[in-house]
Amino acid sequence: MSPCRRLRTAGVDLGSSAVKVAVVETRGNGEPLLLASEVERIRKRDPRAVADALFRSTCAAAETEPEALDYVATTGEAQGLPFETGHFFGMTTHARGGLFLVPEAAAVLDVGALHARAVAVAPDGRVLRTRMTGQCASGSGQFLENIARYLGVALEDVGPLSLRARKPEPVSGICAVLAETDVINMVSRGIETADILRGIHESIARRLAQLLRSLEAGSPVVITGGLAADEGLAAALAERLAADGAKTGVRTHPLSDRAGAIGAAIWGAVRRGRMDGVPSCEAVA
Amino acid sequence: MATRVSGPPALDEVLARAGALAGDLELRAVAAWKEAQPGGRALGVLPGWFPGEVARACGWLPVAVSGGGDRVDIVRGDAYYQSYLCHLPRSTVEMALGGFLDPLDGLVAPAICDVIRNFSGVWQMLHPEKLSIYFDFPQDLDPAVGGQFLRRELTRILSALAERGGRFPGPEELRAAIEGENWRRSAVRTLGNLRAEKPWLVPVSEAFLVVRAGAVLPAEEHAALLRDYVRAAEGSGRRPRDDVRVLLVGAFCEQPPIGLLRTLEQAGCVVVDDDLNFGTRALEADVPLDGDPLGNIARTWLEHGAPSSARFESDGSRAAALVATARSRRAQGVVFCAPSFCSPALLDRPSLERACDEAGIPHTSVQYVENTGQFQVVRELAGTFSDSIRLWS
Repeated sequence: MSPCRRLRTAGVDLGSSAVKVAVVETRGNGEPLLLASEVERIRKRDPRAVADALFRSTCAAAETEPEALDYVATTGEAQGLPFETGHFFGMTTHARGGLFLVPEAAAVLDVGALHARAVAVAPDGRVLRTRMTGQCASGSGQFLENIARYLGVALEDVGPLSLRARKPEPVSGICAVLAETDVINMVSRGIETADILRGIHESIARRLAQLLRSLEAGSPVVITGGLAADEGLAAALAERLAADGAKTGVRTHPLSDRAGAIGAAIWGAVRRGRMDGVPSCEAVA
Repeated sequence: MATRVSGPPALDEVLARAGALAGDLELRAVAAWKEAQPGGRALGVLPGWFPGEVARACGWLPVAVSGGGDRVDIVRGDAYYQSYLCHLPRSTVEMALGGFLDPLDGLVAPAICDVIRNFSGVWQMLHPEKLSIYFDFPQDLDPAVGGQFLRRELTRILSALAERGGRFPGPEELRAAIEGENWRRSAVRTLGNLRAEKPWLVPVSEAFLVVRAGAVLPAEEHAALLRDYVRAAEGSGRRPRDDVRVLLVGAFCEQPPIGLLRTLEQAGCVVVDDDLNFGTRALEADVPLDGDPLGNIARTWLEHGAPSSARFESDGSRAAALVATARSRRAQGVVFCAPSFCSPALLDRPSLERACDEAGIPHTSVQYVENTGQFQVVRELAGTFSDSIRLWS
């Protein structure tokens, strides 16, 4: 068996609306162990200051001194933070984090505030193929957040409400601006909020299913990123894929929103091993 | 009294000068050169190879015209071209109509694609009083066939330049002009070698600027600027980063916005070689100074012309050359980076990608327009690419 060493690493994922931090330890059996993970919404504060504070509080939760970490990997927009050892990009980290959370996953669908990204992932976390949405916002969390605000619905209620829809109202699947106009019209026509939200979810799900189709994604797909917690979206995506004849299962995980930070921490251990010439246990496994 | 010690030039000063020259779309430096050279004329050169020494020997300053980048709003230029063509001719027309190119007394269009070829006609319509030259390249690289053809092309162009108020140069004037261009070629090669050896000293965004600065400079002045930059970069104290070494391929005509180059660097890709500002590196060796000057230029192009999608080949040698360059530059990957609708680059890409696959060289691809302003997707794609090499290759 190859020699390996125990490493304690952190991942910091700075998104456009929230910061996520994870501290991971890779041990002798090669299995990364998640010691602590936290999420904090930015809410119009200095994102880097929020990231700094959350990094320190997550280290404290993991009973680790920041200086004692073997590698601090940033991802998302966190590149260049003063405590960073190195940076990995979002698709690399979400692929590994998604696989950590759902080990049988064949693809990861990261749906964040501004983009959706699909990644076909090998069993060892290697990125095989990727697809991204373009600059259009209509497949993103920011769009859904705007709609929720128009409707006066708290974000955490969006998913459960959508699941109660009886007659989903179709919206423009092409453009977020048009869809927002659609929603204003629906409200004035007295359409039920649940039906509007379900229509929005179906619109997003169409775009995401298209993304997965172009990726030739295997099954199951694990949703990561901020919208992973939206059960209405997961249900709409599963239905859309089934309607398209795709045999693709859709999974989520309670920690799906932290997948980027978890993946960054795990890759940080691998990179530290390669830099020092001694592989981490994760790399050996 | 203290003795003044001459150290390397300050990097920020060199870059400030290079940046000003590279951004000189109004060709103020060219106008200043003409004022200082009574009777001097300026010849615009569209992307591709053109032997600047032929123009210089005739009293013309060759001026590289590479589009308007992200600083020229296209209003009238779109009326001249179909929507499915690249951006460079539109911005160049816009610049011509807007007076940016007024210091030019003529324009040469090297035969790198149909769009550039046809630009010689558009230029003639825009400026019937100015010189318009189409410069054709041979497709037969046999010196007895293609060499003769190319020499005749150079003779034809030299005559056109001389007749249009310049002067008919003798062999010594041609040799002097060739020597000046050799200095530039040598300085470009020195910069290229430094990038290959210590790429962390020379970000691609800086190399792009200092090479592009030569668009409006005489060759010998540009060579001096390049040498100043190399000395400044060597003394910069920059340290290696945890980046991957890549080749950038496909940007030989319309130039990418500098933001895209910086984005690639931020994505962990350190560029060890590229085909940006292709005209300055189209000849990979100096032109000999003895013997027949025009014949020497033609022979150097046949024997030492840089492989490019804009140069005819029928034997797959471009793909082999790409793999060889990747090996010699110790590149860990290739980023195919071409302008949208660039037929030569995009038609070549599948065969070049296949060659990379067969050689086990990872590759990725991005497309751009010269005025692209959003790089988030490029950053993600290039970043994932560099991650994959750092973690798994």
